[in-house]
Amino acid sequence: MSTLRNEDFKRLLDSIPCYITLQDKDLKILWSNEFHRRDFGEPEGYTCRDFYNIDSSKCEICPVHNTFLDGNIHSKEMTLITKKGKRINVIIYSSPLRDENGIIEGVLETAVNISPVKEIQKQLIMLGQTVAGMAHSIKNIMMGLDGGIYIVNRGLEDKNQKEVREGWEIVLLNFEKISQIVKDILYCSKEREPNFAVVSPNKIVSDIYHLFKDTAARYAIEFKLELDETIESAVLDPDGLTNVLSNLVSNAMDACKMDIMKDKHLIELRTKKGVDGATVFEVADNGVGIDKELKDQVFEEFFSSKGDKGTGLGLMVVQKIMREHGGRVTFRSRPRQGTTFVATFPKREMPQPAE
Amino acid sequence: MPKKILVVDDDPSVVKYLTAFLEDSGYETITASNGEEAFEILKSERADLVTLDLQMPNETGTRFYRNVTKDKNLKDIPIIVISGLAGRHLAVTKPVAVFDKPVDRNALLKVVRETIG
Repeated sequence: MSTLRNEDFKRLLDSIPCYITLQDKDLKILWSNEFHRRDFGEPEGYTCRDFYNIDSSKCEICPVHNTFLDGNIHSKEMTLITKKGKRINVIIYSSPLRDENGIIEGVLETAVNISPVKEIQKQLIMLGQTVAGMAHSIKNIMMGLDGGIYIVNRGLEDKNQKEVREGWEIVLLNFEKISQIVKDILYCSKEREPNFAVVSPNKIVSDIYHLFKDTAARYAIEFKLELDETIESAVLDPDGLTNVLSNLVSNAMDACKMDIMKDKHLIELRTKKGVDGATVFEVADNGVGIDKELKDQVFEEFFSSKGDKGTGLGLMVVQKIMREHGGRVTFRSRPRQGTTFVATFPKREMPQPAE
Repeated sequence: MPKKILVVDDDPSVVKYLTAFLEDSGYETITASNGEEAFEILKSERADLVTLDLQMPNETGTRFYRNVTKDKNLKDIPIIVISGLAGRHLAVTKPVAVFDKPVDRNALLKVVRETIG
């Protein structure tokens, strides 16, 4: 113990950015370093459990106790609460402190804050789940491709042009689905600067309308376009807007397909003028709507309510693009009645080219 | 008289594929795009076998499975599960077979032939 009274060693221990305590056989804290006192206060006289206010079930496996028993180093992950009430994840190592005869007279407990690592771990778990989800979506698409190819081959054998065309359409449809997933992944995976340009919002919305018209018709969904003709131009990234709208429209279509209560389904695609020169895009459907419990999760990363048909990437991409534009996306929904998504792009001047 | 198979899947490509393939193999087919619709059809029309996608939105596939296996008139209809998420179908009784998407159609046909001839 004499070493600890040495001022140099004390300063050394105080400046180590880990929570270090010395404990006796009864787990009473005899000493703590500066870093520990700063975040947890004065521990002298308390036992470890009382000081951290840990319920006894979590202390069943106590590394300090085990070190006293066998003299080896033990470790354990725990959640501790600082004196300011902040929860931190730590990994605890206990190591024996022996006297000159080799008798263990105390155990040094060193706790390292691993909260940032835990955060990354959480994100990796979510990433893993997304990749698994994506694999399932792709499996479905492969089945669709298999089907299209089968029908095309059958049409070729029977010399039936109509069937070849029908099969080919299935192939194209599923090919389009894969392209969308790939686009979404790319959008999510990198930071990109929007390519701002002066565009006609109504023109882009009309293009989207024509792109989805046939698909909507195939599912017997009425698809309407309502343009505010007074909107002339806006400064935004045309690819970004196209991606936002196609994600919202395909979601609206899924919402209609999932709804088995109504006979007639309708999707409306609108442009509007917002406040302060903003441009507003609305995608409204009368599909299943979003349940109260799910409303908070809608924009959460990797969240999907579509079983293995959704990747959870779509709205994440939408939100990312809107953020890049300094805009926002909101929605209003009533369960079983329908949902309206509103994307607002703020007014923006074309950046001046550098002289 | 050909045996009749009810194909249940919300993806029209898959429905088209399975009906074309099963018809080519000599079966008659009827289709439904969700579990509710499928259950309604079974009340009025006899099917000798059902192929079911369990992962349809709103869990209508799972509900359909439960409804059919509980209904004394329908519980003996063999069900083949074809799903992107194989192995996640712990319902009341066991399906005849479970296929992962994309399905191996020859293996599927083998099971169909063994089950209903």
